[in-house]
Amino acid sequence: MALVTFDNVSKFFGEVVAVKDFSLEIYDREFIVLVGPSGCGKSTALRIVAGLESPSKGNILIKDQVVNDVEPKRRDIAMVFQNYALYPHMSVYDNIAFGLRMRGLHRREIDRLVKEAAQNLGLGDLLRRKPGELSGGQRQRVALGRAIVRRPVVYLMDEPLSNLDAKLRVQTRAELVKMHRLLQTTFIYVTHDQVEAMTMGDRIAILDQGVLQQVGPPQEVYDRPGNIFVAGFIGSPAMNMFPARLQTRDGDAFADSEAGSFRLNSQQAHGATDAADGEIVVGVRPEHLYVGGGEGSGAVSATLGAMVDLVEYLGNEAHVTFSLSDTTLVARLDARVKMKLGETVPLTVLVENLHLFDRTSGQRLA
Amino acid sequence: MKSGDAPTAALPAPIPLGRRYPWLEGLSRFGGGMLFLWPSILLFGGFVFYPLFKSVYLGFFVSDPFGRGQEFVGFDQYREVLTSPDFRKSLLVTFLFALYTVPTGMVLGLVLALLANQRLRGALFFRTVFSSTIAASVAVAAVMWLMLLNPSAGFVNWILGQFDLPRVNWLTDPQWRTIWDSGPALMAVSLTTIWLNIGFTTLVLLAALQNIPQELYESARVDGASPWSLLRHITLPMLSPSLLFVVVVSTIIAFQSFGQIHILTRGGPLDATNVIVYSIYTDAFINFEYGAAAVRAVALFLLMLTITLIQLRFLERRVFYR
Repeated sequence: MALVTFDNVSKFFGEVVAVKDFSLEIYDREFIVLVGPSGCGKSTALRIVAGLESPSKGNILIKDQVVNDVEPKRRDIAMVFQNYALYPHMSVYDNIAFGLRMRGLHRREIDRLVKEAAQNLGLGDLLRRKPGELSGGQRQRVALGRAIVRRPVVYLMDEPLSNLDAKLRVQTRAELVKMHRLLQTTFIYVTHDQVEAMTMGDRIAILDQGVLQQVGPPQEVYDRPGNIFVAGFIGSPAMNMFPARLQTRDGDAFADSEAGSFRLNSQQAHGATDAADGEIVVGVRPEHLYVGGGEGSGAVSATLGAMVDLVEYLGNEAHVTFSLSDTTLVARLDARVKMKLGETVPLTVLVENLHLFDRTSGQRLA
Repeated sequence: MKSGDAPTAALPAPIPLGRRYPWLEGLSRFGGGMLFLWPSILLFGGFVFYPLFKSVYLGFFVSDPFGRGQEFVGFDQYREVLTSPDFRKSLLVTFLFALYTVPTGMVLGLVLALLANQRLRGALFFRTVFSSTIAASVAVAAVMWLMLLNPSAGFVNWILGQFDLPRVNWLTDPQWRTIWDSGPALMAVSLTTIWLNIGFTTLVLLAALQNIPQELYESARVDGASPWSLLRHITLPMLSPSLLFVVVVSTIIAFQSFGQIHILTRGGPLDATNVIVYSIYTDAFINFEYGAAAVRAVALFLLMLTITLIQLRFLERRVFYR
């Protein structure tokens, strides 16, 4: 059963379209991540669930009830804000207790719940402090504590990790996933960071310019991006993409580009026939490029002559930028393979690892 | 010793000037500080400290009409003036005046600031209107209210007439008693003062309101707060430093008010609006009793100092500074 449903939701701010015809079903106990570049409408979508914005068009449903005009406090949700939005004049205890007090719980019950939440989050010693006296990580935990103490049906999180330093962010990421498993409730999580999206979400929904681009489990989105935007957005370094033309020679379908010519397999050839005029975009992930000839692999491959432009060693791997005439390709290679700048090497890609997109519509062909 | 090392032992290190003559260094530091301070010292000395000490000094003398100390009477004059019935009366009037103007002005200012802070079309217009009295001089405000309160042609009495209520001689009726045995004149003067200060109060509170992060309200709304709870638990605590500032400053302004009283009532009728500041003026410049005026001025200074300290001491505990 869908717990939260976006039914054709649009939101306009004057002339600006923040969210457009957005439809999505979010299931009970799911961890879903809304991801996209800044200004893509992901935060607006979240705020519509919270009731802080109302949809200009369409309906928002929680537990099959249309809640368009329902106040935030009657929606049984909790929200963690990007800047935490802790009440600066209240102690940690009062911050966590605030939502319970507003709901008129008994003082003893509030005390029990607050202390339990503080214990779980390691805030036990900080209850009397004010937010101004806490570190960024501690504030973040108070913001989480304020949300979990209420036990809502949906947790909304708006870039909760973006103000933490890199190390703490990775650590908190894992803690959030654990917390989701423990609480057994629904998390709707907004981020611009595709690593967070990939690592945390049961499903991820990619938005661009207010329009939903693709929804699915992270691996599926990574393996079969639905369009050029998703292909370029998910994955780091980003997928290599270059224009190509479909040609048929001797009964075989080829994608001809400046970088080289690729003989497509039958499935790709079949899919590519949907391209309106044979103009396509070929995509290949950096980890699917190998240095060396394609012989002996058994699979259909193409080998290109590529010049080493730039090498970035990351310790465990190296990101190598190659240029082939006007095309630039980035490959993720073993750091122990030493490359000389300016040297030309054979670069191989398995044809089955190619992604084909329609150049006009941007949609995936195969 | 390596050949490259400097022969450090050969030359005596220069002794800093300050170590040879510590007093010289101290003096030059003092001189440097004074260099920065002298404009302020000059101004404050001439216009604040000298008059302050002179007032205390004058209080010990019964002076002639030209302000020259004539006869030394010690504390006798202090005792005489401060225990006189007219000083007690003016003290009471001053307190009532502060009591009428400060809380009312603050509540009204807060309400106007809250209204003007709404994100509505045309809010900017109302922000300007609400804070516009800050640009009106005391004289302009007083003359305007003099006309509004005019017994026969004034707007206020016209309104009363519309409801078949009797006309009031706002500024001159010595008989009618309103609250705490004060007459309508003190209320009229208070009304003018509130009007005069509302712009300042509104402006300060509006600025403070706009500094409250919007997310706090959103967070509290998600947490289940009603509009009243938002005001009580978010707005007021976040405004508390500005509220304290407004209380202290409006109290001082109330205790120092002169212009509107001079124009509207001249302390009358029957001393009903004769606040301490006005009685200082009467003593000094009508009766030419500079000594007695000085005593009242010193008393007013100590009174304001005490009240401000009490306000800071007791209210600051409830203030949250970010």
